[in-house]
Parts: sequence; structure tokens; C-alpha cells
Amino acid sequence: MTRYAGLGRTRPKKLTPKAPIPIYREHQIDDLEEEIQNGLQQVETGVEKAEESEYHLQVAINAVASGRVVNEAHIPTPETVLSNLQYDELYPPVFSQPATYIRFSSTVEDCCGCPYNMTDEDDVFLKIMNEKRDPADRCTEDQFEEVMNFFEETVRLKQPYAAVGSAPVLSFAEMQESMDATVEDYVRRLAKDVYDHWKTRRLNNGNQSLLPSLKFETGAETDDTDPYVCFRRREVRQVRKTRGRDAQSADKLRRLRKELEDARQLVALVRQRELARKEMLATERILFLQRAEVKDMKRKLNIKDDDEDLINQKPKKKPIEAPPMQRPAAAQLRMPPKPGAQAAEDLQLLEDVQAEKENEIIRDIKANIAKHMKWNEGYVDFTRAPLSPSPERTVDISFRPAITTQLPTPPSSDSSENTPDLALDMSGTVSYRDKLDEHALIMSEDANKMPSFRRRIGRGGRLLIDRRNFASRCRVELDPWKADRFKYDQEDSDEDLDYEMDQYDISLMQNRAIMLAKARDQAHAQAQAAQVRRLQAEQAALNNLNSGQTSGQTMGSNPGPGAIAPTPET
Amino acid sequence: MGVRDSHGEAAGTPDPVEKGIATLNTIRIGVKAMVHKDGALRKAEILSIKQRKDGLAFYVHYVDFNKRLDEWVASSRLDLSQEVEWPQPEKPEKKKSGPAKAPSKNKRVRAGSRDVSATPDTLTGKNTNVGKAQRPSKAGGKENRGDETPADLSMLASEAVSADGTPKAVSEDIDMMDASFTDAKEIKEEERALGLMSREEEIEKLRTSGSMTQNPTEVHRVRNLDRLQMGKYDIEPWYFSPYPASFSDAEVVYIDEFCLSYFDNKRAFERHRTKCTLTHPPGNEIYRDDNISFFEVDGRRQRTWCRNLCLLSKLFLDHKTLYYDVDPFLFYCMCTRDETGCHLVGYFSKEKESGEGYNLACILTLPQYQRRGYGRLLISFSYELSKREGKVGSPEKPLSDLGLLGYRQYWRETLVEILLDSGRETVSENELAMLTSMTEKDVHETLVTFKMLRYNKGQWIIVLTDEVIEERNKRLEKEKIKGSRKIDPARLQWKPPVFTASSRTWNW
Repeated sequence: MTRYAGLGRTRPKKLTPKAPIPIYREHQIDDLEEEIQNGLQQVETGVEKAEESEYHLQVAINAVASGRVVNEAHIPTPETVLSNLQYDELYPPVFSQPATYIRFSSTVEDCCGCPYNMTDEDDVFLKIMNEKRDPADRCTEDQFEEVMNFFEETVRLKQPYAAVGSAPVLSFAEMQESMDATVEDYVRRLAKDVYDHWKTRRLNNGNQSLLPSLKFETGAETDDTDPYVCFRRREVRQVRKTRGRDAQSADKLRRLRKELEDARQLVALVRQRELARKEMLATERILFLQRAEVKDMKRKLNIKDDDEDLINQKPKKKPIEAPPMQRPAAAQLRMPPKPGAQAAEDLQLLEDVQAEKENEIIRDIKANIAKHMKWNEGYVDFTRAPLSPSPERTVDISFRPAITTQLPTPPSSDSSENTPDLALDMSGTVSYRDKLDEHALIMSEDANKMPSFRRRIGRGGRLLIDRRNFASRCRVELDPWKADRFKYDQEDSDEDLDYEMDQYDISLMQNRAIMLAKARDQAHAQAQAAQVRRLQAEQAALNNLNSGQTSGQTMGSNPGPGAIAPTPET
Repeated sequence: MGVRDSHGEAAGTPDPVEKGIATLNTIRIGVKAMVHKDGALRKAEILSIKQRKDGLAFYVHYVDFNKRLDEWVASSRLDLSQEVEWPQPEKPEKKKSGPAKAPSKNKRVRAGSRDVSATPDTLTGKNTNVGKAQRPSKAGGKENRGDETPADLSMLASEAVSADGTPKAVSEDIDMMDASFTDAKEIKEEERALGLMSREEEIEKLRTSGSMTQNPTEVHRVRNLDRLQMGKYDIEPWYFSPYPASFSDAEVVYIDEFCLSYFDNKRAFERHRTKCTLTHPPGNEIYRDDNISFFEVDGRRQRTWCRNLCLLSKLFLDHKTLYYDVDPFLFYCMCTRDETGCHLVGYFSKEKESGEGYNLACILTLPQYQRRGYGRLLISFSYELSKREGKVGSPEKPLSDLGLLGYRQYWRETLVEILLDSGRETVSENELAMLTSMTEKDVHETLVTFKMLRYNKGQWIIVLTDEVIEERNKRLEKEKIKGSRKIDPARLQWKPPVFTASSRTWNW
């Protein structure tokens, strides 16, 4: 407002920020009124008042004021010159720029190694000290710095106010006290020799830290005006105190405390573990060395035995000890991860490995198929043996294996007895398992013969269930007569199960769990196998293109009505 | 706002200035004498005296020149054939009753020009006697604290004044004191009347995240470092910075170019260099083009580095305050790259949350990189961030002289660019502010300063003067040859950082 004061009668209209102002070039206007305007509009510079009048600044400002915009008005500053320091030695060319923008969060402390840095004084001392020591046991500069740093750190912890008060220099005994597990061996070894040097330096420095440090607040009155005291903490903004907030923060603190404690515990345990491991390594080494001796001795004495004492016996012991202890636990507490492997856990290792390998191959193939399907997404593949099936063909996939979970009923004798005796139960489960294993083997004999079904919606919205391969196994195993005889038995037994059994009976639940897991695994394996087989078949078909197409209808034996044979290749 | 007399005017008040011929022995702190400087005689105020091997040396401030030109001069450069101005006497009896009768302008002069109440004495460590060692703390501690009468020590100073011909200041101990002990209450009232802030108010303002001080006691101290070695350069510091007190004895202070750690011992510095692995500011890179990179460093997460940075920049920023910690600031550091790393060229700090709409707190191009257009890039980047935030912003005040010129240049060029290129016939200040992220006030004042906003035939108009257009064309030509250095917003990978309520409450 005062800006325009003094304009007198030609006081201009107020200019609001939103008001559009026309733009002109200088030649478009006549500068009659210019004089009036000069000096009318005072603008604050934003520079400290006492400094506004400084000569060089005034020269620069006035240069502008007089219309000369090109302000080469130069404010002189003290000079900087190239240093004669050996820059290349101090700053090695180690930087390589990553392609992406750098993200970085380590602190200066993280990046600077040992905070103590040797001075010339230390150099002299270290040289003398090393001359006295034998060459194998010399102290390196890094080690020396670590030792000095240990002293400094210890003082910082034990005499936090050494810088303020006049505390005596810590004695060597006190130093030794604070050597805990984190202190390196060489620090312990060298501490005694370096201590006196450190003490002298410390005394010369008035028992102040040897590292140049900034002055922070000490709480003394003098802090406020001491120009060297800097980076004071800002008092926390006052928050309104309520009971709820108090409780909240108390809670937070407690939780923090607990978390810290947990973390500490974890670290301690890790440390313990690593120590144990180290010990174990040492023991093993000794063992190895002793065995080597034994071997030599044996050779010398020409003893020939099975050399059992030269290898670790552990693997042998395990099968003897483990099963009785592990089995019940496994049966009770968790679903067996590999049902087939349950009986002879240790013996199946090779099989497992092979299965794993197989799986890997299958997975690979599947991945490839999936990839191919992705490429062809939105297209219909009309080639002879398309990798990505056309929509109609996917129907085939929708056949689901009929997993007969409830099929192998527990022997009625067992379940009806319902003995609460755990041991007996256990034996029971084991025996089921063996039986089930047989079933499993039979079922997985031929994936194509796995009974399967699908649901589809037919004309007029009828819901149809198609079965496939139903009871084909029966045909293989039993003669038709027998099959006929047992035709309805199964269903009956199903119902028995539903009505007579306690669904939550332990043994039943175990059984179900085992079956479920097994069935799932099998179904999975079968699905994979089927896919592989199909793939192979398709490839074969491709290969046999010339020899004509003979789509074998292998499913002649579907007993149920409405069962559908796999659609032949078109 | 009250009328603020500038220091220069105040000095020229009719207030009788005691003048007289002085000898080397009678010269004391506060005396204004003529000093040979660059072949001319300039009036300079003596801020400190110390004994050197070759005689007395005086730390002088040239009246009406920036403090960065303050320097130590040998006694031979003082022209004692001319009369000197004695500092305003403070008579003992006045002190008791409070200097209410003392002409207020005197004090303002003192406050404005040379309130050195806390001048660090370490520079003259050899001369320090017990009394002096205590003096700044005792008297200083009481400053603004109320009604205690000034400590006896201040009597010492005034005695020296009144003793006139037989100054004790010169005997074996050279008196380092200044004469700034008047009743604190009085000062406060006066300052308030003058629109200045009291110390308490100032500290409160700093606490709630100011970074610039207007308090004379915070500035204008005797420079404590002689020479700085950083990267490939030897640098002469401009102002005082609270590096460890022992550093003022060092001939050279070594600064690690990457971690900005400081050493007064070359050997220690070299040892440090063998261990230090930093090759760029310890934060996230948010901008990269062919020449420069910007790193964003959080003051709370990188406390040590940011403190180091602030200590360093305090050497070149008079009004920067290091009173409080660096937590509430983000530091945007501009670097050039080569195979040794990203070399800090300059930086600006910015409050995580500014109550006053500042988009920049402190800004500095390191002296070894000045006058190469980096400052303009820094300013431009700060506005680029504001644009990203969708806010307008302005730098925190006070500006330094160099800061003012830099900003005015940037503002002018930015506005001229828009006015010329937009092809519009009219534009409002508000629109200009939106386009540039400058505040309306800055827009307006820039237009006024460069005489582009005029009142013509009953309406306001913006005039693109021949000068600004000519200047622009010159600049464009120059850019054609040298290549233009501009911030490309597309290369800025940055989202305005958000700080949670708890971090604000706890000042994290």
C-alpha cells in the first residue's frame, strides 16, 4: 500500500493479482509518465537492512535501476585457487555410474571405516613400537587405529562427561574391563602397548576427545551464546497430554522395548549358533587329523578292517533311532509331505531326487506350453497337433479325475473297535497306509484309465455329467462276474461310512488327511503325465502325418451310459 | 513497519563521534580507522587484535563492504596519521540507570554493524587471560535475560574507554572485548520498536525451522579458519563457522570432498581417504542429465553428512544459522560427475514443511564453482520442485547480496521468457505466478524492479523494455555457443516426500 503512496492526485488504481495486464513493447508506449513512476515503487530487497547499503551491492542494484539490465556489476569474493594436493592419489577413480538413478541410504559412519585417523604423532610412535616387536607381530596402521578407537569409544561410554568435567584419564585396568566379545583379538593384544601413547596424547589434549568434535549443548548456561555450540536439538513440539495418549505412548514404548529385546535375543542366539558352529568345525578338523593319523597307523601296522572308524557313523545311526521317535510325531502333528516316502523315509532319497528331476523337466515343458499358449492367445490353431488347443478341444481338459477319497475304507474291525489306545491307532494308520499305497500304485498305473467326469450343459439347458473310464480298472482286475457282484457293494459301504462312523474320529481324520494329500499329489502327477503323454502323442501324430491318420479308440469299454470317449483328433 | 535506517545512514547521524589521533598502543576494538586497501584508504572497524611474531595484527571490517572482505591486516596498513573514530563511550553511571538516555541510534549502529559479543577468543589464544575467557560467556549468557546489571567485565571495557589516553587494553593483554553491554531489556525494547526481533523470538523462530538468522550476534564474528582444502581446490573461507575450536589454529583445514568430514591434520585426512568409500552425496539421485545430478538427502537420516554440509556452507553464508539441528530439512545437492565420483557443486536446503511458504532455505554454490551459472540451475531446480508439488514458493529471507542478484536475474529471465514466448496480449500476475511457481509478490516485485510494470494512461501495463529484450537475445546467443544449461523436468524422478504426522510431532 505504501508502495504507491506519494503519487498524489495521480494515485493509480489498485492492481490486483488476478487483473489481466496488457503487455507492450517499449516502442509502443510513450514514456511521458515514466518520470513520475521512478522512485514510486519501492521494493524490498530481502537483504538484511544493515547490509543493503554495502557498496558492491548498491552498485549492482543501481546498475539495474538505471536501466542497465546487463549487470556485470561484480561482487568480489575471496579467491579460490587450484590446490597442490595430490588429488589423484587421494581420490581414486573408482566411480562407475549405474544406468539407473542412484539410491543410497548408508550413512557417513557406515562408509568411513574406523573413525580414528592416525596423525603424524601416531606415525612416529607406531614406528618405534613396531621396531621393538618381532616382525611377525607388527601392528598395522589399521590395527593401531582400531586400538585407539577402542580407547576413545570406551571413554565415551564410561565418561560421557569427560569433555565437560575434569575426569581423570581412564586407567588401563578399566579399559580391560570393558573388553567384551566384540573386541577383536589384536586389539586385546596391542592395547597394552598402545595405551601409554594414547594416555599421553589424551593428557596433552586436556583429556578431550582426540577426534576433533563439534560442540553440542551441554545444558550449561553458556551454551546459548557460545558460537561453537551448534546443532541443538529442537524441543519436541508440545502435544496435548491426555490419558489415552499417555497410554498409547507407554504402549508404544513397551512394544519397542520388547522388539528390541527380541532382536537382541536373536542376535545373541545367532552369535551362539555361530560360535557352536565354529567349535564344531574345529572339532571336525581335529577328528579329521586324528583319523589321518589312525589311517597312517593302520597302514603301518597293516591292520585291515572295514575302516569304520574312519568315517562318520551318523547316517547309519539315524534310521535306527529316528523312526520310532519321528513317526508318531509326524502322524499326529502334520500332514505327511510325501506320503509315499513315509514308510521308508531314508531309503527313498534317490527316488525323490529322480522325481524331482522329472518334475523339473515336466515343469519346463509345461512352461513352454504355457508360453506357446500365450503367444497364440486369441487365435485358433488349426494345425494338426496344435499346442494351444482350440476352444472346443479344451473341453477335454475339463474332464476332472474322479478322486475317490473315501474309497479305501478303513477295515471295519479297526474303526468299530475305536480303541483310544494311541499305540494301536498308530499301527492302524501305518497299515492303512500300506494298503493305500497299493491302491495308489494301481491307480497311477495308467493315467488314461483314471476314472474322470465332467459337467456340461447340454441342449435346452440340461445339466449332464459325463463319465469316462469308469470302472475300467475293475474290468482289468476282476472278471465281469465279480465286478457285477460288487457293483453295489461300494456304494453301500459309502453309506455305512456316512452313518456309522464318527467323522471326527482321530484315525479317520488321519486317514482322510493322508488320502487327500496322496490323491492331490497323484492327481497332480497324473495330470502332468497325461499332458506329457498327450504332447508326445501329438508329436508322434505329427510325425506320422504321411502314414495317414489312425485315431485309435482305446476306450471301447466304457460301461456307463453317456460316457464319452476322448474326442478323436480331427 | 517502522522506518528502518540503514547502517550507513545511522553512521552519519549528527550524533557526535569522538575523533582523535590514535597510536598503535591506544587502538582498541571498536575503533574505526583508515586502512590501506587495494591502493586506497578505506574506513575500517577493528574487530579483533592479536599479537603476531611480526607485531600486532588487526582484524578489520571495511565499513560498507561485505564481511567476506574482512581480513587481518598488519599494523603497517593502518593509517594513523588521520584521526580515528572512537567507539561510542558508555559511561559507567549511565550503565547503572540503564542507557535509556543514550541516543537509540547509537545502539542500532552497534547492533547493526558490530555486535561481536560472542567473538570467539580462540584466535587470540595466546593473549587470552582468565577474565577474557570468562567474559563472553558470562555477559553473553545474561544477554536478553533481564535486569541484571552488566558484569564487571563490561566495566573493564568502558573504563578503557573513559581512560582514553591511558588505555590498559594494550599492556600485556590486548583487550578483545567489545562494548556491547547495555541493559538487555533496553535493547529488546528498542529492537522491538525498530521491528527487529528479540533474541528469544529469533530462537523461537529458528526452532520452528528457520534457517536464516537476522540476529547480529549470530553473524559477524571473526573468521575462524584461514584456508580450506577441498577436492582440487584451496578455498578461502568467508565467514565464521563453528568447526571445532581447535581448528582455528590450523593452517589448512582439509575437507573430504565426498563425506565432507573435516580434518586439521593432513596425515589424518590422508588416512581417512584410504578408508572412505563415499563417492556421492548419501541420498537418492532424483535428477540426472549430461552434466549434473541432483541428490536428495534427508537431514534426519543423514545427520552427520548434512551437519558437515551445513558447517561447510556456513563458511560462505553469513546469515545461515546452525543454532538448531538439520532434521527438518531436505538437502538437494547438485553434483558434477567424473570417474572419481559425484562432486558437490552446490546445494540448497528446503524445509520438509514450510509454514511460511518457503521453497528454499539456504542456497550455495561452492566458491570454486561460482560464476559458472550453477546458482541459476539451483534456483531453477528449486522452482521445478515447487512445480511438481503444485505450489508457489519463495526463498527464505534474508537473502545475501549474491543471493539477491542471483534470484533477481532468474526471476527476470523467467518472466521475460514467458512474456515474450506466450504471445499473449494480457497476463495477470497470478497467471505468471502459476506458470513459474513464483509467488505473486515475487512476480510483482520483479516487474517493478526492472521497470516493466508501469502505470500508463490510467491503467497498469507490462512493458518489455528494450534492455530486457536485448539482454535476452544476448543470453540466447551465448547459449547457442556454449550450450544451454537447463533443468529438464522430464528427467526429474521425484515425488514430493510425505512425512507422517508422528514424524512431524517428534520432529523426525
